[in-house]
Amino acid sequence: MADLAEVKRMIEAELPGAEVEVVDETGSGDHLRATVRAPQFAGRTRIDQHRLVRAAVQPRMDDGSIHALSVKTDVAEPAG
Amino acid sequence: MAANPELKQKVEELLGSNPVFLFMKGTPEMPRCGFSMRVVGVLEQLGVEYGAVDVLPLLDPLREVTGELADWRTFPQLYVNSDLVGGCDIVEEMFESGELAELVGAEQPEGVAAPAPQAPADPQQSPPMQLG
Repeated sequence: MADLAEVKRMIEAELPGAEVEVVDETGSGDHLRATVRAPQFAGRTRIDQHRLVRAAVQPRMDDGSIHALSVKTDVAEPAG
Repeated sequence: MAANPELKQKVEELLGSNPVFLFMKGTPEMPRCGFSMRVVGVLEQLGVEYGAVDVLPLLDPLREVTGELADWRTFPQLYVNSDLVGGCDIVEEMFESGELAELVGAEQPEGVAAPAPQAPADPQQSPPMQLG
């Protein structure tokens, strides 16, 4: 069972400036959905955007606290 | 653990000879996983020819292979021209936006909102393939 706030922080740490939302899809705490809007996604394919998000939470996938992670990404326009 | 070189070579050959190729759990006629079924549904709606292989008999060895080839270890995985497009989330998102139809050179079906929930009765998949 994953700590949603920690997962959110892990993604934010990997992608500074990103808007991140992490929800528990099933109520079991291990099937999560992450919606991430990040400036770092600009110019990357979707699979690369997903790779960045997955890499950020890999330790929680490896230790089994997350069984399934569904990801939705969006490019954030850089501010200013 | 390193990928089995022979299996990796077979996978590269399959990707080379099938411009649209799906690694899935089960078969297009009988998907064994809801996410795989949804990707099959998208491909059938696009009416595109594709190759498919059931990963279940060789799940862990194939994870090693796709980990090395594409840095991705969960299935399903859809490849176009040997490049990983994505799993179910990405495939559905790109289908709905029309990007997938463009990528595979198919017509975008009219009135697409969401992919069909069920695999169709008559899939257009390639003949069964076995890797091991």
